[in-house]
Amino acid sequence: MSKQHVKPDMQVKRFSKAFVWAHAINALSFCALYITALPMYIEFFDWLYPILGGPANARLLHRIFAVTFVSPTVIYLIFDHKGFFHWMKELVTWKKRDLEFFTEFVKELFGFKFKHVKQTFFNAGEKMNSILQILCAVMIIGSGFPMWFPAYFPRAVVQWGYFFHNVGFGLAIAVIVGHIYLSVIHKNSRPGYTGVVTGKVPAWWAKEHYTEWYEEEEKKGNFPNLDDPKHKKGA
Amino acid sequence: MTKYVKYVDVTKCDGCRACMVACKNWNDLPAEPTDFLGSVQSHAKTTADTWNVLQYIEHENGKGDLEYLFRHSSCFHCTDAACEKVCPENAISYTKYGSVVIDQDKCVGCGYCVQNCPFEVISLKTYKDKNGKEYRKSHKCTMCTDRLEEGLQPACVTTCHTGAMEFGSKEAMLPKADKRLSEIKGRFPNANIYNPQGVGGTHTVYVLAEKPSVYGLPENPRVPASAIAWKDYAQPIGKMMLGATTMALVGAFVTNRLFNKEGRSESQDGGGSHE
Repeated sequence: MSKQHVKPDMQVKRFSKAFVWAHAINALSFCALYITALPMYIEFFDWLYPILGGPANARLLHRIFAVTFVSPTVIYLIFDHKGFFHWMKELVTWKKRDLEFFTEFVKELFGFKFKHVKQTFFNAGEKMNSILQILCAVMIIGSGFPMWFPAYFPRAVVQWGYFFHNVGFGLAIAVIVGHIYLSVIHKNSRPGYTGVVTGKVPAWWAKEHYTEWYEEEEKKGNFPNLDDPKHKKGA
Repeated sequence: MTKYVKYVDVTKCDGCRACMVACKNWNDLPAEPTDFLGSVQSHAKTTADTWNVLQYIEHENGKGDLEYLFRHSSCFHCTDAACEKVCPENAISYTKYGSVVIDQDKCVGCGYCVQNCPFEVISLKTYKDKNGKEYRKSHKCTMCTDRLEEGLQPACVTTCHTGAMEFGSKEAMLPKADKRLSEIKGRFPNANIYNPQGVGGTHTVYVLAEKPSVYGLPENPRVPASAIAWKDYAQPIGKMMLGATTMALVGAFVTNRLFNKEGRSESQDGGGSHE
C-alpha cells in the first residue's frame, strides 16, 4: 500500500452484494464444471475420474454445477437490475480511449512504463472480458441443453452442440486464465480482487483505474475528493 | 494386413433370424422381450443388448406389387468411423481386420458415439455396481473380433443357412457383390451395392434390393461435419489457445520481475501509486 494517502485504507463501494454473489457463483461453477469435464477434454487428466467418483458421478456433478452456472445472470438481474443494465450499457459503449487502453495495457502487463488511460466503471479490458465470457456462456449453455437432453433435439443439433460446447469453454478458459492472472497475481490490479469479494476497493485505486467513474461519483457526492488537502499527504 | 468384409446379400435372406440368435449366443447377450411392433420384426433397431436386428420391410415397388424385404442390420464397421473420431477416451479403435471395437474398460459411457454414428447402431447400457451405483457402457456389434482372432468367422455368418452372408477378404467379397448385382438387376431394377464412400467404405457391404432409403439407411452417410469441426479444429485450437495465454502470462510474470525493479523501488520511497 502506498504511503501517499493519509487514509490509505479509505474504501469506496464498487460492487453490489448481488454482483459479488453472482461473480463468486459464476467463478466457482465455472471451475467446477471445468474440472468435472477435464478428463473428457484431455486424457492426461483421466486420474480425476476416481477422485470425482467415477465417470457417471462426474457427469452428475457436471449437471449440478451446470445449473448453478446459469444462476448468476438471474441473481444479478433480480437483485441489482440497475447494475446489470449499466454493465450491458458499458459493454456496447466503445470510444477512442478504449483502444488507447489496450496499448498501455500491454506495456503494463509486461512490466514496462505506462500511463493510465481514463476509464469508466469498467475498463476496456474488463469490457472485452465480459463480452467474450457472455459469448462463451451463451455457447456453452445453449449447447449444453441438447447435450443433456438429446432425446428432445434433432440429431444434428446435438452433434453441433458438442462442437459449440467445445469452442465455448475452450475460448472461455483461455480468457479466464488472463482474468485470474490480472486479479490475483498482477500487482497493479490486485485491489480489484479483494474488491470483487468485499464489494469495496481503495479510493485511490478506484480513482486511478476508473477515473471517469470516480469523478462522476465524486460529483454526486458519493466519493471523497482525493485532491482535497485533507486527504493529501502532509500537504 | 488384409481387411475383411462381411458381405450381406439381402436377396438371399429368408428372414429366419438365426443370425440374431447366433449373435446373442456367442456374445452372451440377454434376451430383450419386446411388444408387438406391427410386423414380424422383433426390435425397432439395434440396441445395447441386441447387436443385430433383422428388418422386415413391406415395400410397394414401382409396379404396384408388394415386396417383402429383409435385411440383417448391424454395425457397418466404417473405414472412417465417426464413433472412433468423437470418443473422448480413445476407447473405440480399428482392428487389423477392419472392424471397429469398443474397449469396455476405457468406455466412460458419455454417449458421444451414440449421437454421432451415421447409422445409429450404437447404444448405451446402464449397469449397477455392487454398491448399487449406476454406470453406463456403450455397446455394438464387434464383428466377432474375438472369433476372428481365433481364425473363426463372425457368428452370424457361420450360422446363415441361405448363404446370404459371407465373410472374407475385401478383395474377394467386393467382386462377389458386383456379380450378384448384375444377376438381380432384372428382378430388382433399383438394386445397388451399399458400401458408402462418405465414410471411406464399410466393412459390412450389402447388396440391397431397393434404394438405401427403403431400408431406412442414409443415402450418403458421412462423418458429421460437426464432428470434424469439433475434433480436428475446435479441440486442438482450444488447447493451443490455453497454452498460448498461459505462456504469455508466464512471460508477463517473468518480465515484471526483470524490468519492473523501478516500480518497486519507487513504492519504497513512497512515490509509487500502484500498491
